[in-house]
Formats: sequence, C-alpha cells, structure tokens
Amino acid sequence: MIIEKQEISSQVCKTHFILIQKLMMAERIFILQLLLITVFCVSCAEKPTTGEDAQVTTMGSIEVTAQLVEIKGRLINDPMYDYAHVMKYKVLEVHRGKVDEETIYIAHYNPAKPRDAVADVRVPEIGGTLKRFRPSDIHRMALEVPIDDYYMGGIINKYFGEKTGPIYWAVWTNPVIK
Amino acid sequence: MVKRMLLVIMFVVNGFGGFATAGDKPIKDNRVSQLAMEVRDKGWIVYSARSQNGTWDLFLSRPDGSQRRNITNTPGFEEGAPRFSPDSRKLLYRRFQKGTVINHDLWGFQGMPVIADSNGTNPTLIGKEGQYSWASWSPDGKQIACLTKRGILIVDLTTKEVVSEMSRQGIFQQFFWSPDGKWFCGVANYLGEVWTVARIDVNTGLLNPAHKFQSCTPDWFPDSKHIIFSLRPAGQSANQGYGWTQLWMVEGDGNNPRLLFGQDDYHIYGGALSPDGKYVLFTKCPRDGGGSEESGAPICIMRFADAPTIGGKSYDLRKVHPDTKDGPVLQLCDGWEPCWTYADLN
Repeated sequence: MIIEKQEISSQVCKTHFILIQKLMMAERIFILQLLLITVFCVSCAEKPTTGEDAQVTTMGSIEVTAQLVEIKGRLINDPMYDYAHVMKYKVLEVHRGKVDEETIYIAHYNPAKPRDAVADVRVPEIGGTLKRFRPSDIHRMALEVPIDDYYMGGIINKYFGEKTGPIYWAVWTNPVIK
Repeated sequence: MVKRMLLVIMFVVNGFGGFATAGDKPIKDNRVSQLAMEVRDKGWIVYSARSQNGTWDLFLSRPDGSQRRNITNTPGFEEGAPRFSPDSRKLLYRRFQKGTVINHDLWGFQGMPVIADSNGTNPTLIGKEGQYSWASWSPDGKQIACLTKRGILIVDLTTKEVVSEMSRQGIFQQFFWSPDGKWFCGVANYLGEVWTVARIDVNTGLLNPAHKFQSCTPDWFPDSKHIIFSLRPAGQSANQGYGWTQLWMVEGDGNNPRLLFGQDDYHIYGGALSPDGKYVLFTKCPRDGGGSEESGAPICIMRFADAPTIGGKSYDLRKVHPDTKDGPVLQLCDGWEPCWTYADLN
C-alpha cells in the first residue's frame, strides 16, 4: 500500500516536472520571439532624412519638399500598360525654381512601382528612392512643368475639371523622414 | 496517322469557328475558300513576323497567304511595323537592335526609321535610334509626320528639315496621317480621359475626340473620313472582368461608332483596310497587346460588307450585337501590323 502511494507520488512529481520544463521552454521561446521582433523593428525603423541626394538637387528645373495630400483613384499596376497618375501635394519648401501655389498637382509615372525600377523606353530618365506612395508622406522631388513637354503617355487625372494650373512631372522622388 | 488526326481537329475547329487557314494549308470552309480566291490576286500584304532565324523580319505575301517571302531576312536585326508609301513604291518601317522586345505601345519610339523599296531591297536608315518617332507617310510620300514631345513635326524626306510644327494636344502614341493629308489621328489624353482616339485638323490644329474610353491603335480608312481602331468596351464580365478588345470603326467627327469584328477569348488589333476599303485586315491574339512582345498573332481578313462579324461562340458578345453577319474570316500566319497594297510588286 505504501509502495503504491510512493509510486503514484513519484509519477505526479515526474508529470509536474515535465510540465514545468515545457512551460519554461515556452517562456524562453516567447522571450526569444519578443527579442527578435524588437531587433527587426529597430533595424527597420526609417532613419530621418531630408531626401537630399545628387539627383534630386540637380535634375529637373524645380525642386520641392511637399506633402502628398491625396491619391485620387486606384493606382494601376498592369504590366501591359503604362500611366502617369496625378496626385495632390501641399508644398512645404521650394528649394529650386519657382512654384506659385501651395497646392500643386504632380504626375508620377507608373506609381505602383518603386521609383528605382520605374525608368523604361518611354521614360528613361526618372527615378528616386521612394518605394511606395502613401497619403500624408513627405517627398523631396525634382520636377518639370508642364507635363506635356516632358512626358508622352497616358495620364490618369482624376482632378480634371476641378483644378486650374499646370500638372508637374516628377523626375526624381525621394522620401523625407522627420 | 498523327497528321490525319491533326487535319480532323483543324477541320472541326475551323468549322465551328468559321475560320480556316490559307496559303499552303488546306481550307475546309467553302465561304473562306471563296474569300481566299477573291483576294488572292488583289495585290500584296506586308507584315512583320518571326522568321526562321529567330528575329522579326518583314514578309510579303498575297492576301490569301500564298507566295509568302521574307523580304529582309536580317538575323542581326529585328524589323517591324512596315507601311507602304502612298504610291506603293516604298516601305517605311522601324529597325530594332537584335533581341529588342517590341512593345505594343512604345514601338514608335523604339528603333531606327528605315525606308526601303517595297520589295525590301535598298533599305536606308533615315534616322537614329528613337528619331522620327511614330513616323507616318504624307499623301505624296515626300514627307513624314512624326509625333514627339515637342509636338507634331512634318519632316521633308529629302532635306530632313522640319517644314511644319504644331501642338500634339495630348496625343501620345499610334499616330497616322490621313490619305488625303487633311487629318492626323492618334491616341490622346482628352479632357481627363486617357485612351481616347482623337483627330487633329492639319490646317487649323484643332483636335476632336473620335472615340473615348479604352480606344487605341487607330488608322485611317482610304476615304480619310473614317477611322478603324481597337476598343475594349466597358461592362464585360468575361476574362475576369477585363474583357476582350474588339475592332471598331467611327466617323472622324466621332459619329456612328460600330463593331467590325470581335471574338470572345481574343484581343483584336492591327486593324487596317484594303486600298479600296472592301476588306479588313486585323490580328487576333489571346493575350492583350497584339503579340508584338512575342511572335505576333494570326493575321485575318474579312469583307467589310460582312461587318459586324463575330467569331466563335462568343455568347456575351452576340447578346450585345445580335445583328452580326457572321461572315467568313480568312486566317493567315502569325504576324504583326499588316499593311495592304494593290500594286503589282512582281
């Protein structure tokens, strides 16, 4: 009888021991995961930048820092067709050239593509470091105006009839991180 | 045995679809046979196609596909988009570096412009890479009109001087001068609408839209009053909602647009007319764009009098166009951007 009790007690202890070990292992894995996520986030955090580089300061006849206010309409990502998409910007600073209005409309070529992969036969001399267009982001851009003097292709302009003034053509687009 | 089976399959497919091959291949549809015989001696068609050397070359054939011959045969280059001069003595086309992927929307910007005799002999480069973009013959063949960012430029072919210049007014590609010299047509951004087929009056420079919404690849009817173009109409549920591109015509002022040919499962491009306007040339490609990036698509011929014609079962398209005449369509070999002359090139 005593022997049976001892065996049962021993088995309970073993089960508890295994359970505790498993819990400790899970805790370690959880901590490790937390650490990895933290390291990943730190490494991905965008460093502050003014967007200034050799291209944006020399290409085009106008250079601005501006906030992307709105993207009207869906950005088309169709490998068969190319478009420039007109977006609404608020000008924060004019670095070069002349811009008279605070709100301007800028056309970006195939904006679904990262700027460093957008140049092609139709538009060979454009680019930048921006990966993705998101409203409220700030961009430093080299521009030309009017668009028809620099770009010959389809233009998606959802602001037609709403606005007056020229459409600017984005030659180089870099992100600005504050 | 395999050959017999293939012939049976071809017969069944052709029978149901109303198509038949021609030239060196057997024709089983009597109506198509009649059409082939009807056009056989009506001059020549020129087109670009993949040759045995793997590059794009220019080919001449009778309109029924017979007497096909490679007239450039240049393994070191790609060649495409040939156009007969108005007197049919010359060809204007573009020569691309070997291995160039010819883009269906950008080809007018790509490569170098060449003028050769209409049988392909005496090719002469008339410009550098990318120069004289979208070059198009004047009615007398002494000038070309080009579409550039700067505007529409008319260039004298002897002196190479720009003799006239006007605003392109949003036209950005696929640009052609009308046979009577009074008009240009092209694809334009117009009043916020991309993919509008537009017309410009050469004398006044005024532009009018001929057809808005997903309209492209316009070219002139011989009468200079009508435009043939490709259209992918809205509201198509087929092809996962993308729809299929059809061949249409419209008066230059935008009136009376109507279907010429359509077939579900195919995109129709390369629309052109015979010199008398009695026959319609086009290509039909399962992939959008007309096939210039690969090996082209079957070149087809139908009678203009049979328009509108719908190919295949095309249930959806037949509902929209119950007036289809379902005329015969003669299907030739794969090619791209065909052009027709009635001149005797022999």
